[in-house]
Amino acid sequence: MKRILLGTLFTAVSINAMAQAPGGPDCGWGNMLFEGQRGTPAHFLASTTNGTSGNATFGMTSGTNGCSTNASLTYGGKSWFAMNGMMNELSEDMAQGQGEALTTYAVVLGVAPEDRAHFAAVTHQHFQEIFKTANVTAEDVHSNTLAVLKTDARLAKYATPA
Amino acid sequence: MLKRLAYLALCACAPLQAAPLLDDARLQQLANDRYWISLGHYETAKLGGWRSYVDDPRFFLDADGAHHPDRELKATLKALYAPASLGEKHAQCVFPARTRWLREQLQLNDLPTLACKDYTQWFKDVSPHSAVMIFPAAYLNSPSSMFGHTLLRIDQADVQSDNTALLSYAVNFGAYIEGNDNSILYAWKGLMGGYPGLFALVPYQEKLAEYRSLENRDLWEYRLNLTPAETGRMVEHIWELKQIQFDYFFFDENCSYRLLELLQVARPSLDLTSQFPLTAIPTDTVKAVKQAGLVERTDYRPSRERELLERAAPLDKAEEQQVLALSADTARLNSAEFTTLPKARQALVQDAAYRLERYRANGQERDPARTQRSFELLRAINRNPPPPLQIERPGLPEEGHESRTWQLGAGTREDRAFAEYGLRMAYHDLNDNAYGFPLGAQIEILQLKVRQYENNDWQVQRLDLATIRSLTPRNELLQPLSWQVTGGLERVLGKHDDEVLVSHVNGGAGGTWQLADEMLGFALGTVRAEHNNDFAEFISPAAGFNTGVLWRNGLGNLTLEAKGDYFTNGEIRRSLSLNQQWELSRSLGLRLSAKREFSQLASAQNEVMLELKWYHY
Repeated sequence: MKRILLGTLFTAVSINAMAQAPGGPDCGWGNMLFEGQRGTPAHFLASTTNGTSGNATFGMTSGTNGCSTNASLTYGGKSWFAMNGMMNELSEDMAQGQGEALTTYAVVLGVAPEDRAHFAAVTHQHFQEIFKTANVTAEDVHSNTLAVLKTDARLAKYATPA
Repeated sequence: MLKRLAYLALCACAPLQAAPLLDDARLQQLANDRYWISLGHYETAKLGGWRSYVDDPRFFLDADGAHHPDRELKATLKALYAPASLGEKHAQCVFPARTRWLREQLQLNDLPTLACKDYTQWFKDVSPHSAVMIFPAAYLNSPSSMFGHTLLRIDQADVQSDNTALLSYAVNFGAYIEGNDNSILYAWKGLMGGYPGLFALVPYQEKLAEYRSLENRDLWEYRLNLTPAETGRMVEHIWELKQIQFDYFFFDENCSYRLLELLQVARPSLDLTSQFPLTAIPTDTVKAVKQAGLVERTDYRPSRERELLERAAPLDKAEEQQVLALSADTARLNSAEFTTLPKARQALVQDAAYRLERYRANGQERDPARTQRSFELLRAINRNPPPPLQIERPGLPEEGHESRTWQLGAGTREDRAFAEYGLRMAYHDLNDNAYGFPLGAQIEILQLKVRQYENNDWQVQRLDLATIRSLTPRNELLQPLSWQVTGGLERVLGKHDDEVLVSHVNGGAGGTWQLADEMLGFALGTVRAEHNNDFAEFISPAAGFNTGVLWRNGLGNLTLEAKGDYFTNGEIRRSLSLNQQWELSRSLGLRLSAKREFSQLASAQNEVMLELKWYHY
């Protein structure tokens, strides 16, 4: 099963979403690292007509990645779902210790501006604990990150949901 | 104070209040206001009167609203006073932009009060503060992408200070494709307006993945100087367009045109759409937005492919081999060949190998073996990170030459002098002024050339419907195919040394190689179908070749080409040609062309021409 039910952190809000993936039917929460991207089979034609071959993105979605934000699964004011589509970028940035996705991750986790460089350094150093296997999901990465933050005196305060 | 109390009392009985009666003159004046016209997406119809681009009855409150801004205004005004019990379906909740504008214009202080929870929540989610126009640039191996696309990104207040554009939403207008139309049908319907156009609000990172990774297009981000209020006004109107269908035509009523309309809603003093009566080519609309003084800053995001190539650029042949080896088998991370490299070189090699693996995974299903390889490489990168990539920003696409080109040439063919007049609707060929365009990409749409020989002897020289050439160099890591297609009318050597006008389609595929820094060499196999009055059969097929070099030199671009077509009926047609562009200014170029043609039907002929190209609009 690709879409994993949320861990204890979110049970309070996801209780009514047991039957389907949390966040709604099209929500990509629980994406694994290196999830295959939607292909554009007719690339030439697609760019000719400016069409998008994936219909899921059409229509207004007020959620992120097709996830409804009704359940307000937010962390530090931003929807955590947003990180779900950035798993690859996040893994690359964290491996290298810098980058836009890593900064975004810090912001989503509510890390204050003055702690972000430290956050980048710590997560870089503990990359192999956060991205333990090639099959980690966004959710694993999240909980592994919190575990790492807890061990750091300066960042521990970001490991408990406000 | 008393006045205010009285006013409050008035408001208290507002639920029974009816829409204020407008006298006709005021109604007409409001209905013809540019802002109302913008909100309804009206244009002046061909036969006078108005017509809305919106093709959706749900957008209009009056049955004739699509053609009568005044009736629509009247109906809207009435609907604003409908009982608040309508809830989310109330016009105030469905049309927040109309509501605000009418409220301001007519001082409607007695409107029923509605919570509009859906809209309010949505607006809060988006939290518009500023806007960025996004232009995914051309991708060399898909010259059709030269027409590009534009979308808008809506940023929250802290996006710039926090560097969290990845969390922003993008407003995208595109054709809505239902079901499984096949590719040909898809292109045809897209061009002819067979698909409805819809606005969508999607996470920006999704669009980034689509353009930077899947399509390998660089992205240009133009930060607009819209104020938070202006951005809010625009987003307010976007809500009104939720699930609303527009006509969609590739050339004019496209994404770029719609975005210009949105900008006019944001800042009513702008007049952008009137500059594009016929076609709205995305680069041109970017230019218009820039000329209107809207652009505050320009940012560049290289495509994943460019990042890979830049990372691999400093590597030597042996290191490139290591990249290939590592990307195939990560156990090679421990091989002597790899570990004996200096550590800094190892960092580059393994990063390039990782990028290559991800590049190959593009558009593919998740593959366990590849995933594992990527992961192992990531771990290696983590232990020995490479320096950040520094990619030089290429020329701004909107500062490249204009699309429409007038051409005036003079030359001789054998001993006959001629003048040649040409017009090309779009866009760029291999020799054209190069700034802002990728080397080796050509796309031309609708080109007509007419020749006037001595003694006022006029003839159509050629009519190209479309010419597309994509010459992408191959290297150790990437082996893209080069290809070309073209079709139309052209003059070829025929019987009696005459030039015969033939209709043709042809195409080819092959490879391109980087011969030097600014020089490409290419070789393609070609096929051709031709209708020629000199031939017995109606359609004559041919196979052949097209090879040459493209060299970017100090004057401009030079091409030297050899072509051959071997017809099944025995005709062999070959040519050698040289073209050198002299880039005079951004919008002017001078081209020297020399050509020698050979045919079985006639003796070889020479032609030389000097041609002035004016990239006009």
